Amino acid sequence: MRRDLGRRIYGYLVSAAFALFLFSPILWTLSTSLKQPTEMFQWPPVIVGEPSAQHYTAIIADKDFSSALINSIVVSCSTIILTMALSIPAAFGISHLRKTAMRRLLTLVLALRAAPAMIYIIPYFLFFRQVHLVDTKIALIIVNTMFAVPLAIWYLSAFFDQVPREIEEAAMIDGASTLQTMTLISIPIAKSGIMATAILIFIGSWNEFLFALTLTRDDAKTAAVAILNFIPFEGTDWGKAAAACVLMLVPIVVFVPFVKKYVAGPTTTGSVKG
Amino acid sequence: MASSRPKVSSALITPAIGFLCLATLVPIAAVVALSFGDFNIAFPEKTRFIGLYNYARFLSDGRFINAALVTFILVVVPVVLQLLCGLALAIALKEKLVGTRWMRAAFLLPSVVPPAVGGIVWKLFLIPGVGGLSYLASLFGHNFEADLLGSKTSALISVIIVSIWFGVPIVALLLLSSLDSIPDEIYEAANLDGASWAQAQWHISIPLVIPAMGAVAVFQALEVLGIFPVIFVLTGGGPAGATEPLNFYAFLTAFTYLDLDYSAAILVAFTTTIVGVCFWSIRQISATRVGR
Repeated sequence: MRRDLGRRIYGYLVSAAFALFLFSPILWTLSTSLKQPTEMFQWPPVIVGEPSAQHYTAIIADKDFSSALINSIVVSCSTIILTMALSIPAAFGISHLRKTAMRRLLTLVLALRAAPAMIYIIPYFLFFRQVHLVDTKIALIIVNTMFAVPLAIWYLSAFFDQVPREIEEAAMIDGASTLQTMTLISIPIAKSGIMATAILIFIGSWNEFLFALTLTRDDAKTAAVAILNFIPFEGTDWGKAAAACVLMLVPIVVFVPFVKKYVAGPTTTGSVKG
Repeated sequence: MASSRPKVSSALITPAIGFLCLATLVPIAAVVALSFGDFNIAFPEKTRFIGLYNYARFLSDGRFINAALVTFILVVVPVVLQLLCGLALAIALKEKLVGTRWMRAAFLLPSVVPPAVGGIVWKLFLIPGVGGLSYLASLFGHNFEADLLGSKTSALISVIIVSIWFGVPIVALLLLSSLDSIPDEIYEAANLDGASWAQAQWHISIPLVIPAMGAVAVFQALEVLGIFPVIFVLTGGGPAGATEPLNFYAFLTAFTYLDLDYSAAILVAFTTTIVGVCFWSIRQISATRVGR
């Protein structure tokens, strides 16, 4: 069967078709971001003529966009810290509960996450307007943390389950408190899982659009929303929009290889074998 | 020692679960309450209870009915096509042919692209005459200059295709892991019995992954309307509401028309329907599994 011709024809044909479908829009954006303005509307279209970095220097020099990029980084990193501060102890605790109690709590945690994000937009908008936090990074950090905690608890408790119980018990017998056991024994052992979770939280927060769109005006705008400013009203200069898209993709492309197994989401990872 | 553990555990768990309940249940209760009220954002003190009035407005709101229909199309069609395409891709990637291994590493990319970026990427790709699609067509000797986002049907099809683009990698990843867990011996036995590769896929691979597909479909159905940012960037819900699902309509109702109570009613109806159908499906799926 290994030498079966059907297997090869199917494998190459389908792989090629999907490679074209999945990557050509992104490659086209990459090519547009490097084009000279005159090449952009050439007929027949070209992939790359003379590569130019002018669109990249233009968007970095753009104050609104560079401050939005900084906002994105600040919001994403703060979300990671706040989410971890809440989720690491909770996941450690859940991992040490009796099994049935644990399953019930994890299911509750995930059920809270099932509702579409849009249902939260009106109450959060009214609430943050009331407490004068509209257009602040704090509002975005709180919202992103709310979306990240269920995911983080789910993953982290699975990682804490893998820490050998004998090592933890040995530490306890030597007189370590629960907190000491967690910080000195379990967290270092689960380090790589915690890093993977941090990356997933980063991606979620970096990509978040709906709340960044409604809860910010100018000061706290993140890059995922600021990027819309580069869309030309009349189809002339797409170079900046394309360059901004490529910049937004850089951290994603760097980080995703580390979390490949987990991007399918917590609900379905049970069926995913690394 | 053993008796002290549960207490310690609850001290560790309570802050996170407390925060979650506060941050999710209170807002949801607020939306439900709002949907039963007459609320004006300029005069919040004049809010009064009007019962099901906002829900009764659905019946005479043609735009709501259209959005409900679009929602149905934009959930069912992309999920079905994601499953079919995901299965096709997973079968191809399972073979690990020389020259396709990089695909196994890279195919996930679209699913983690920021949705707003995905919207721009596709808008750029579909520009009539000079976009990437026209370029691809010119490679095959065709002159393609149609404005796909300009007419109702083709705009809806475009949104469905982008929705498939976002969802296929995840579905393929899940089905691939399910395919990879099928023992090689089964295929070897089929080979000894004289089955071709295609027959082995049809009689072994597909029947063995079908049970996994039900759960994948439910989770994708919950995720698929997360393409709100794509619609926002790509079509703005148009032309003439052709690509305006309920979450998009509710967003405009709240933040463009400032009709927050009606928007709340739309969102409550939308959320209870979609979550309800998904939970019901999960129960059905687990019931048939137990029944076996």
